[in-house]
Amino acid sequence: MSEIVLELKGITKTFPGVKALDRVHFQLKSGQIHGLMGENGAGKSTFIKVITGVHREDEGEIYLDGKKIEIKNPKDAIALGIAAIYQHVTCFPDLSVTENIFMGHEELSKTGIIKWKNMHSKAEDLLKKLGSSLDPRTQMGALSVAQQQIIEIAKALSTNARIIIMDEPTAALTNRECEELYRITEQLRDEGKSIIFISHRFEDLYRICSHVTVFRDAKYIGDWPVAGLTNSQLINAMVGRELSEMYPPALSKPQPDKVFEVKNLSRTGYFANVSFDVKKGEIVSLTGLVGAGRSEVCQAIFGIDKYESGEIWLEDKKIEINDPKEAMGHGIGYLPEDRQKQGLLLAWSIEKNITLANLDLYGKGIFVDEEQESEVANRLAKLVNIKCQGVDDLASSLSGGNQQKIIVAKLLTSDLKLIIMDEPTKGVDVGAKHQIYQIMRELARDGYGILMVSSEMPEVLGMSDRVIVMHEGRITLITDANTTQEQLLEAAVTKKTEMRGE
Amino acid sequence: MNKIAAKLPSAGQDSFVRKYLMRWEAILFLILIIVNVFNAIISPYYNFTGILGATRDFMDKTFIVFPMAMVILIGEIDISVAATVALSSVMMGVTYNAGNGVPMVVAILIGIGTATLCGFINGLVLTKFKELSPMIVTLATQTMYRGLAYVILEDQAAGSFPGWFQYFGWGSIGPVPFILICFVVCAVIFTLIINKTKFGRRIYAIGNNREASRFSGIKVEKTRLIIYTLVGFMAGITAIFLTSRMSSTRPNIALMYELDIISMVVLGGISTSGGKGRISGAIISIFIVGLLKYGLGLVNISSQVLMIIIGLLLVISVMTPNVAGKFKEARRQRMLHDKLSIQQK
Repeated sequence: MSEIVLELKGITKTFPGVKALDRVHFQLKSGQIHGLMGENGAGKSTFIKVITGVHREDEGEIYLDGKKIEIKNPKDAIALGIAAIYQHVTCFPDLSVTENIFMGHEELSKTGIIKWKNMHSKAEDLLKKLGSSLDPRTQMGALSVAQQQIIEIAKALSTNARIIIMDEPTAALTNRECEELYRITEQLRDEGKSIIFISHRFEDLYRICSHVTVFRDAKYIGDWPVAGLTNSQLINAMVGRELSEMYPPALSKPQPDKVFEVKNLSRTGYFANVSFDVKKGEIVSLTGLVGAGRSEVCQAIFGIDKYESGEIWLEDKKIEINDPKEAMGHGIGYLPEDRQKQGLLLAWSIEKNITLANLDLYGKGIFVDEEQESEVANRLAKLVNIKCQGVDDLASSLSGGNQQKIIVAKLLTSDLKLIIMDEPTKGVDVGAKHQIYQIMRELARDGYGILMVSSEMPEVLGMSDRVIVMHEGRITLITDANTTQEQLLEAAVTKKTEMRGE
Repeated sequence: MNKIAAKLPSAGQDSFVRKYLMRWEAILFLILIIVNVFNAIISPYYNFTGILGATRDFMDKTFIVFPMAMVILIGEIDISVAATVALSSVMMGVTYNAGNGVPMVVAILIGIGTATLCGFINGLVLTKFKELSPMIVTLATQTMYRGLAYVILEDQAAGSFPGWFQYFGWGSIGPVPFILICFVVCAVIFTLIINKTKFGRRIYAIGNNREASRFSGIKVEKTRLIIYTLVGFMAGITAIFLTSRMSSTRPNIALMYELDIISMVVLGGISTSGGKGRISGAIISIFIVGLLKYGLGLVNISSQVLMIIIGLLLVISVMTPNVAGKFKEARRQRMLHDKLSIQQK
């Protein structure tokens, strides 16, 4: 058995209102590719940030080579040989590859002048080692995501990292690019580096990881060798219940009449010829890779961005939408992807957040009727089951799931027909997820049409009546829910147009 | 997890002390009392009648404090107000003296119209070109407006207004100056608008989180346009009172007014990052600055000393929320920690 390089014991980290890590353990051996799995909100990202010194742990101990250490800031982590490659590559797009690789540890001559030639040739060597023939003078922004990732790996190597953390590196890659990444990762392992590989995808795990640790709800669930581990064991560990329990059954069938339809909606550079419809009481998922144009389509429908051509129909009426207020007036509501930036005023109370979307409702004139306001807020908070002491509580004091419920309550103040939900369960814990699904089912039963944007395939399969897949701004597949993850993924990465189940 | 969250202190459940006495407005009020006591001690002539009279001297610019509070509440700034006052006043003077027997009422309306237009132009530029910073845009327009005032009047004075026009600056009802009454009316109206109306709620929302406000269906750009136009309009009101008090106008009047006005708003506890602060604080700070100036004037202390004192107050007022925030956060963390350790036991 090889030796333990990095060990974390009893790590706890609390943010206002959320316990992000609850006494978790982790053991990394040298020359190992160690998978770290868990649902969104399980605490993986926070855990990584503790290791890389972005966050300080509230409690717990970290050992490197058996010695207790403290990682106070990212600089400490780098000095200890720990480097991370983040999910969304954090590069400087206007600088060259070399500058990106050596950012923060440039090579200087004695007089403090940057030694460009040295750095360029070193960068070239690093890239060659990784099997890439890129010119290090290229601008970072001109590269593909996969190429940028290789640069990030080179950057990690340039700091002499022994422990490399990859945070969902395959999320935005095509199959071929994944293979390339696997090859590089294995090469690094063979050179004696230890790697923590975070991923949602089971393929990644079975393909390259030898060991896996699972987190759920900010807690450590267990760790196992990958060999001999079955799919369902893993799901059970991650979700904590059977998949069928996770997604509540539909309470009603979609009705035949269309509540909403778009025809040939286009916006240059974002999406083209997008046509689909949503029926009364139906949950339609819009899925695809990050950057496929899903959110852009939804924001155009809601009037945040302008669409250039195409038609929007709401129940047999063609409508024009120029801003969110008009969209809401017509009966379209939008639950934004970024809850904290786009959805909530964190410094405000639950009540004021709920009533903000439709202030005209409270009192006829220019004044806000506060009695009416608090009555509506209390009713809706109860309806969506927000856990709080009272509607006076600040939105910032609630957990992710409850914050999401505030936004749902806010939508319900308008008289809606279609509710667009952009990644509604992103970053909420499993219990709250279940409740949000339940709310979606209830909304569908009450006759709302629901358009859900989601990247999570299990969620898409578990909740939808129909699924729409987009790739590079175009719809590549519209299908009923009797489909497989593989089929959806294929449609998400190919340009082929195919219609089924319609 | 939710239970912990629910038990954390939040604004809704603060004690009386925390709710009223720890507020910045309470501190301001205390400062105001200190200023009065101080003035009474250093000068035997400091009395109520004197204070009433003194309001004539500092009230004119304060009409702009209210809409400026709105601008700062949405996280922006308008430094063109003084130039707007000057251009408006010059337009008033030039129109009345044009020689065609233009009635003063028309001249006043043209003055107000000019000022409103100035504000509207600021708003229009800022809402059409959203990426521009309000600081730079209003810096540019203030140069323009002031320049225009110089072009129109060429460094002369225009005056000889009719006698009744003096009433704005010098008239009084009983012992109370007319301008003070107008100020109180404006203060009541703007306090109601900012605290009680839907428009006021939207201003706070935009200052708090512009993007979330947009997603909530608030017409952010329209609101901004209205606020900047309102700033212009109120600058027009200021121009009337100022011109009346001076009984003539020059292109260089109201110089540096923008700094006084912004100081009063910020001293009042309205955060320049937007969304935080109360109009009541700004109203108290108007009197702090005004009365301090008057009191020091009575004993012949130079206005430079006054500037030092106001600068000091400003630094304190800007720092206070930060310091208070740190205390609050520390208290929060401590409570959280206690909760967690209890649970673990």
